[in-house]
Amino acid sequence: MLPALAMLAAIVVYPLVASLVTAFFAQSLVEPGRTFVGLGNITELLGGDFWRLLRQTLVFTVGATVAPFLVGLALALALNTRIRGRATLRGLLLIPWLVPSVVVSFLWMWIFNANYGLANGALEALGLIDEPRAWLASPGTAMAAVIVAKTWASFPWILVMLLAGLQTVPGELHEAAETDGAGAVQRFFAVTLPHLRGIIGIVLLLELIWNFQHFDLIYVMTGGGPAGATETFATAVYETAFQGYDLGRAGALGLLWMLLLLGMVAIYVRRSEREGQL
Amino acid sequence: MNNNLSRRDLLRLVGLGAGAGALGLGGVAACAPSADGPTTDTAKSATDFSFASWSLADNASKAKIEELMRGYGGKAGVTVNGVPLAYNTYLNQLTLQVRGGQFTGAAQMDIAWLAGLAALGKLRDLGDVARDAGYTEAALSSGQVDGKQVGLPWTTAAIGLIANRELMQKAGVTTAPATIADFETALRALKSTGVIPYAASTKVAQLKDILIWMQTFGSPLLDGDKVTVGDDASVEAVAWYKKLYDEKLIAPDVERVDARTLFAQGKAAIYDDAIVGRDFVVKGSPDTSLADKLDPIARPVKNAGDKPRAVQWGHAVVVVEGEGANTASDFAGWLTSDEQTVLGYFKDLSLPPTTSKALASEQVRTDRFTAQFSERITATATPNPFWKYPQYAQMETAISEQVQAVLVGRAKPADAMRDAGRAVQALIT
Repeated sequence: MLPALAMLAAIVVYPLVASLVTAFFAQSLVEPGRTFVGLGNITELLGGDFWRLLRQTLVFTVGATVAPFLVGLALALALNTRIRGRATLRGLLLIPWLVPSVVVSFLWMWIFNANYGLANGALEALGLIDEPRAWLASPGTAMAAVIVAKTWASFPWILVMLLAGLQTVPGELHEAAETDGAGAVQRFFAVTLPHLRGIIGIVLLLELIWNFQHFDLIYVMTGGGPAGATETFATAVYETAFQGYDLGRAGALGLLWMLLLLGMVAIYVRRSEREGQL
Repeated sequence: MNNNLSRRDLLRLVGLGAGAGALGLGGVAACAPSADGPTTDTAKSATDFSFASWSLADNASKAKIEELMRGYGGKAGVTVNGVPLAYNTYLNQLTLQVRGGQFTGAAQMDIAWLAGLAALGKLRDLGDVARDAGYTEAALSSGQVDGKQVGLPWTTAAIGLIANRELMQKAGVTTAPATIADFETALRALKSTGVIPYAASTKVAQLKDILIWMQTFGSPLLDGDKVTVGDDASVEAVAWYKKLYDEKLIAPDVERVDARTLFAQGKAAIYDDAIVGRDFVVKGSPDTSLADKLDPIARPVKNAGDKPRAVQWGHAVVVVEGEGANTASDFAGWLTSDEQTVLGYFKDLSLPPTTSKALASEQVRTDRFTAQFSERITATATPNPFWKYPQYAQMETAISEQVQAVLVGRAKPADAMRDAGRAVQALIT
């Protein structure tokens, strides 16, 4: 018990307490000393960048949760049928999940590159665009491009979870519904979806929590740019601390971000406990 | 007691782990290493040490740097442990490691970063090593901060415009554009041939290149301790850059690596680079005769007769106090001043040496590209006035982010430069 508590203190409690403390000081990464500023860092953030960052973090979080969920669900339904090569397809579809996140980031950064990217080449060949687009360098498309990349990286996990859930749906229920005249769509909403409700809830909540704190893909692909258009809490904390050298402001940002995340984690834990009681 | 974990338990733990991870990330700023110093190296005999270098993280130069490390290691009977770090994150990584006492030894440094790293108070004064090594005065000064020789100059030159002569001639541009008006005309001619006329930096990571254009338009950037970014000249420079961007005379999504790639592939006609760029583009090009087509050109001036502007560029080697620092100091001196070593470095990577003797060698004097680059670009190069501040990296980022906001249409040049100037001034005061 004691070693476990010591580890918990070292990897969770210490950073948390140190962060809480730093948030109330003006402190530089490179210059010695710090000055107590009370709530100064927090009020400055709330009166400035916080709401923009919250909005952009939520856009990324919701986009990068819903899009892979829909892709994962569609593929899980397809793979739950008796199609040929099902086992092979399952294996192949898992590949994106096995690719390290930084590799995924570079891959998609090159795909979306304005000057030599595959996306422009393919879309031009299909006649969908007249000239190359700067997907990652335009505020209007950069966030969408990052969400596409994140979708590619995370749909396999959702697919696996949902497929596992689908295989527990009793076949007799479908047969009974079919006998009563229910079509495929009706059976999906009346039989399949209610049966998957628990697992869908868990998967969506976990994805929301993970995406709310996601860093590497956004940072590698856009660095939070252009002009801050893809900046989220995760990239802003890093930029503030390690580019801006402003530990106090980064600590305050981290504190506010953490409070929001704790709310999500609390919902997850409550839901998990409730599922456990059923 | 049941020790088995159900799937639900496992998922719950995953969720809690995610939360805990976020707490760690939330506290990332607070997790920065402490400023406790490393132990002092008191060993008199040679000891193993580390050498941090971004050239070690670059395929084009990695083999040469490793050869040099092995060469010194064999000579001194020690092991030089390479620490490869990518250029764009180099300063941050090294700052954190030095600050936390996790790095001691020698490190490659961009001369622009010296003041920032020196502010940590852990760099050794290498004045004694430099004294009789034969560096030129200009090179020596590039390694000094507040009169202290914190770095030994490894290579010095400038950042300037490099053109592909063949593409220029194909577009009918037979002489290097002398003024900004000439430059625009040349860029439009190049655009008509289907290439990216000027692969200027448009990503934040390298948008610091705009500073030399601001100086070209007449902004001093700094007057005493007063930041002049936001003055008419700097606004005019950014508005001009935006015009090039809108007319597709410069391209989006470009930083130095992209510019080199596009230039090497013959898809861009002009780009900004240091003299080291030759090696990257020649080795990365499918055109085996690209080296002969490289044409360093003086930066166009605003009014005919103005002196072309160029920013100094160079690498130094610093030594971080602590274990192995004595041997690392000797290594830094050998690496940057041993004639055979520096001429070998020049031969393999095209990086000009910093000692008078090596610069006077036939090998350096007869190299066409180096001679032209020195005459047209390095001759009028000056240091960036912000380099003297430890906050230089932050200043550069503050300006770059505002310039990018202008390029993508999120801010007007005057407003953006006013905000950038204020942000930089705040960092000084």
